[in-house]
Amino acid sequence: MEQLMFEYNASKKVSRRAHVGVAGSGDLEILIEPCQELRAYVVIRTQSNGFEETWKAVLDRFFTIYDLAVSIEINDFGATPGVVSLRLAQAVEVLQS
Amino acid sequence: MNHIYLKHSFIELNAREKAAAVLDPDTFREILGPFDRLESPHLALQSIVPQSDDGVVIARGFINGDSAVVIAIEGDFQGGGIGEVSGAKIAAALEQALKDNEGGIRTRPVLLLETGGVRLQEGNYGLLAIAEIQAAIVSLRRYVPVVCVVSGMIGCFGGMSITAALCTTLIMTRQGRLELNGPEVIEQEAGILEFDSRDRQLIWSTVGGEQRFETGFADTLVSDDVAEIYEAVRDACQREVSLEARSSQVERFLSRLAVIDPSTPVDGSLLRTLWGRDQKEDVSHTEERLRRLEEVWLQTETNDVLSRGRKWFEALTGVTKSEKGGAPSVLCADASLGEEYVRYISVVPNPANRFPRARHGEVGLDEGWTIARYVRDTIQADQDGKRRAIVAIVDVPSQAYGYREELLGIHLACAAAADAYASARLAGHPVIAFLVGNAISGAFLAHGLQANRILALDDPDVVVQVMSQKSAARVTRRCIEELEEVAAKIPATAYDIRSFASLGSLHELLEDVAADEPAQSDIDTVKRKIINTISEVRSSARDLSNRLVSDHAQKGRAASIEVRVRLAAQWNS
Repeated sequence: MEQLMFEYNASKKVSRRAHVGVAGSGDLEILIEPCQELRAYVVIRTQSNGFEETWKAVLDRFFTIYDLAVSIEINDFGATPGVVSLRLAQAVEVLQS
Repeated sequence: MNHIYLKHSFIELNAREKAAAVLDPDTFREILGPFDRLESPHLALQSIVPQSDDGVVIARGFINGDSAVVIAIEGDFQGGGIGEVSGAKIAAALEQALKDNEGGIRTRPVLLLETGGVRLQEGNYGLLAIAEIQAAIVSLRRYVPVVCVVSGMIGCFGGMSITAALCTTLIMTRQGRLELNGPEVIEQEAGILEFDSRDRQLIWSTVGGEQRFETGFADTLVSDDVAEIYEAVRDACQREVSLEARSSQVERFLSRLAVIDPSTPVDGSLLRTLWGRDQKEDVSHTEERLRRLEEVWLQTETNDVLSRGRKWFEALTGVTKSEKGGAPSVLCADASLGEEYVRYISVVPNPANRFPRARHGEVGLDEGWTIARYVRDTIQADQDGKRRAIVAIVDVPSQAYGYREELLGIHLACAAAADAYASARLAGHPVIAFLVGNAISGAFLAHGLQANRILALDDPDVVVQVMSQKSAARVTRRCIEELEEVAAKIPATAYDIRSFASLGSLHELLEDVAADEPAQSDIDTVKRKIINTISEVRSSARDLSNRLVSDHAQKGRAASIEVRVRLAAQWNS
């Protein structure tokens, strides 16, 4: 298991929180909550060590698109980058629903 | 989550969606949800990623307008394994539902079980939690039907199959499986000729939902359909509170076992002709069959293996030959102890056991049902007088691992024993477990873990755990050295009795008693301790709440306690 942390500048506040996914094989669990500052914090615990670059690329892209001031917690059990992006998009959908 | 009817398959829903799907529409309210962050404190220490709800969803809501709690296990997280937090969430929810019912509020409990059983990474935490879950179900069942759904695709295994068997009504799909020992474990322990774990057809024709329904182990067979399961749960909730749960029907199931000849092969389809739903079960047949079975048992009686279980039974009772008419591998005798009259029960090896997989002191089919019979005889005999104490002498290496055992419902045999002990405890019999040797897994759940108090000899060969170290290593893909390293950090995964004692569920560890060759002074010490414990039990609560109050428990099971406190706070909010 490896723990990773990322931070981004963000401009859009959110008012809700969202929970999607499960820390099961090939999948991940995401918890998103509003962040008081105009920043985004991401804490990841992943079962697959050594993929920091990949996570950074996926998250860079996510925050370029959404720009949300949120705290994100991810519990990952070997999800592929595609699955991670889908789950993040799903979480945003829940935030906005 | 409000549009559950759009989705057809129940199996494909996640635990949260499943819980919402059995509640009245739009009444789902989750307690101890992901943002409460009650995750396992033990997984990250072992480099395993935890999950924010520890894989169990507790949902309040309504069923047909009645208050309800739905407990759903997420099979995709760690195979639905029961750890300290996930187990405590289930136990605490059932305990709150019990409190409601005792106070006149009819809160209906529904369990959606998708679980491999105890989460091996948390060992005895899971075992203790399952015992507490089972205790709550047996209590709750007196007020309201406890409904269980095993929909698949994981199925319901290990100690949780015993839990399912204790419920008032069991609903299954064809995809669901119900068995104590998984096929892989049986193959490991007994060889591929016993059970080929790759043969899917064999597995489902032995322990699959349809087979379980056709042979009387499940009440309702449903298809994998949300609407059908929604209705089946409501039907089950409307039923009368059954005083005769399946696991309480000792004579009936023993007479079913009487028609089985373990020396000839039996398979799923043959069993359907022997135990099929359309077979008439005549009461006069029951008695005749039981007599025949008792004859068979008499002929296979041997007493040439001096196990600790036998030695301590003889030491405490003064009886060398048990004559109560049950399987000879279960010793039973009544003896005076101070001012008390006590029934002692011990499971011992019988090399001539008619079931070959239960010859080394395991709790098998005959053993589970015989224990249940001996305990229930006591309840019945004492119902108008002083409830005599029952002492379970525990020296059980495991439950019996075998194809026949699974086919013939060893999960239910273990449930019958656990049910009987729990019922005795609730009826006011002080039940004491006295650990003199192995206390492993399903065998310990059946014989010991429902006791009011647990006493143990402080001896290196007194062992409490879920699975042998070898099997645990295979299942969790770690080497023995790694397991030992983990055990040093997390005492619940260790095997020795002192580690178990640090979890706070042990009433007393008896030091300086010779476990193998007890002298008279040792026997007197033990007797004194048992007398003291019985008298303490007579004036205390009949549930298992005392397991969480000791100083050891405050520390060793802090998470189990926290879960209960926080769940109670959210129950009605």
